[in-house]
Amino acid sequence: MISLDFFTKKFISFEQVLEKKLSAYLEMLTSKEKEQVEKSYQALLEKYGENEDPWGLNIPKARKSIEILYAIYQHYFKVRFFGKENIKDEHYMVISNHSGQIAIDGLLIGCAFAFEVDKPRVLRPMVERFFTALPFINKWSAECGAVLGDRDNCLNLLKRKESLLIFPEGVRGVSKSTSDFYKLQDFTTGFYRMALKSGVKILPVAVVGAEEVFPYVYQAKGIAQALNLPALPISANYFPLPSPIDIHVGKPIELPTDINSESEDHLITPHIREIERTIQEMINEGREKRRPWIFSKDQKKDAN
Amino acid sequence: MNKQPSILIIGAAGGLANILCGILSKRRSECRVIGIDTRALKNDIDFENFSFERMRYTRRNFEKLFRENKFDAIYQLGRLTPPGGTIEQRLSFSLVNTNKVLELAQKNKVKKYILLSSYHVYGALADNPVFITEDFPLRASIKHSELRDVTEVDALCTNWMWKNQDSIETVVLRPCNIIGPQIDNTITKYLTSHMTPVPIDFNPILQFIHEYDMANILFETLDKVPTGVYNVAPDQTISLQEAKKIIGTKNIPFPIFTVGVVSKVFKKLWTFPGYFLDFLMYSCVIDNSKIQKYISKDIFKYDTKKTLSLLRKPLP
Repeated sequence: MISLDFFTKKFISFEQVLEKKLSAYLEMLTSKEKEQVEKSYQALLEKYGENEDPWGLNIPKARKSIEILYAIYQHYFKVRFFGKENIKDEHYMVISNHSGQIAIDGLLIGCAFAFEVDKPRVLRPMVERFFTALPFINKWSAECGAVLGDRDNCLNLLKRKESLLIFPEGVRGVSKSTSDFYKLQDFTTGFYRMALKSGVKILPVAVVGAEEVFPYVYQAKGIAQALNLPALPISANYFPLPSPIDIHVGKPIELPTDINSESEDHLITPHIREIERTIQEMINEGREKRRPWIFSKDQKKDAN
Repeated sequence: MNKQPSILIIGAAGGLANILCGILSKRRSECRVIGIDTRALKNDIDFENFSFERMRYTRRNFEKLFRENKFDAIYQLGRLTPPGGTIEQRLSFSLVNTNKVLELAQKNKVKKYILLSSYHVYGALADNPVFITEDFPLRASIKHSELRDVTEVDALCTNWMWKNQDSIETVVLRPCNIIGPQIDNTITKYLTSHMTPVPIDFNPILQFIHEYDMANILFETLDKVPTGVYNVAPDQTISLQEAKKIIGTKNIPFPIFTVGVVSKVFKKLWTFPGYFLDFLMYSCVIDNSKIQKYISKDIFKYDTKKTLSLLRKPLP
């Protein structure tokens, strides 16, 4: 029988190799960006403390990951972040379009809120149920702030004045075929009922450029079902293409006072459709402003 | 018949029960405290109002005990489990015995019945929300039949509680991991052993309560906590890997998804309950807000780090 020591050494060396490879991205950061990372890290440490929270967020442990992500954010996807003046020092339910087969948009939005806003914060992305059962990924994502997309979880986090990142399109957003690129899928109603219950404002976000990171080829529904996954989009590549990405933050959306979280669907749906329209308009405007698709030298322009 | 108020503690030989017996005997000196167990008492309790009887839970024995004492309150701590036995035998034993205790409590007009259940009844599942409330479904036995006796006893008492709420105050407590020098449960053995596997691919969040804090909550439940089901946990949480670090034992890191191989290896070295592996993968963090309305604000004397550091053992 293969000894346990063998497994242990293999996995530890795998982790070390992966960390070394990813750390190479840190070299891409300029000294000014490194300063920014340090400043944001200290602010996050002050806000969340050194220990993990009940959902597993652990700022010291997440440091390496978020630094690497920031390097990729700045120098690989060359992200431009618009509308940061709309983000105040309060907590929000950040509602965004979802795209790109593998949900890289969530990581980039999280990065923007951790490094580019005045009061840095960890957005708590709501993840699918299957995600929490994945070895290593479960641990890493929890340390970086991800939580199971469960209603009780969300409400408990909102009670603690945390900001959530929600993709109400769900899996339908990331598994779109090419013809549906940049077309919002119908939002589910759960997020709006939670907003009504907690009274937390909605912050609309549009991501432009992530659809092209993993070009869609085929939706392997049968295999997904067999593997117990919500979807399995087959992409032309599984190494992300360096599509320049823009993140647009809209004005916070106030909640109506004439309905509540228990109101009937027909009273709630029009408000959700309005949010969809807002985000779709932001996507359309963002597409007009977007940079040429890959390999152009002058892609990075200052936001605002 | 003795007219002095009396309290019965079933399963009095365990570490936690031992502490509770001492606290009750000392602070309720007007009461007789009677402990029973099939096992011998762990430490002597030197109070005049305390007595211990080693007995099997047979109908004749039990009925005699109730007839002779007219208990005012009953604590049922630990599970009524025979040593060894199959899951079926254990389940049948636990249910029959708990049912018997409840029947005798009702017949003899006991005023308060307190059951020590466990947060294990919720089960450790990948889709658990953080801060599980008392209304959450008991899903422990979905994956692990060996937890059926725990969930069934909890459910039996809860149903009985609402049915008889006018005649008897029933409290079901679902505490998080109780640890301490006197406790000898699975989690304590796991944390203090130098030969335990620690997953590198999962890092669940856990809650720990010190044995003395738990014993004090059990004591306060007698007078302060009304009929109902209550989670018991401190506010603090900690991840498994951090907890192991504090205790400072020598650990064996391993990827838990190779559990098939690992459990076979480890079962030869140490009895590893199947369900327990799930608690090393997924969090089961309970909400404590309901019981906090009734117990003293300063009842938690030990914070999580101190609780864990008291278990610290030198490396061999």
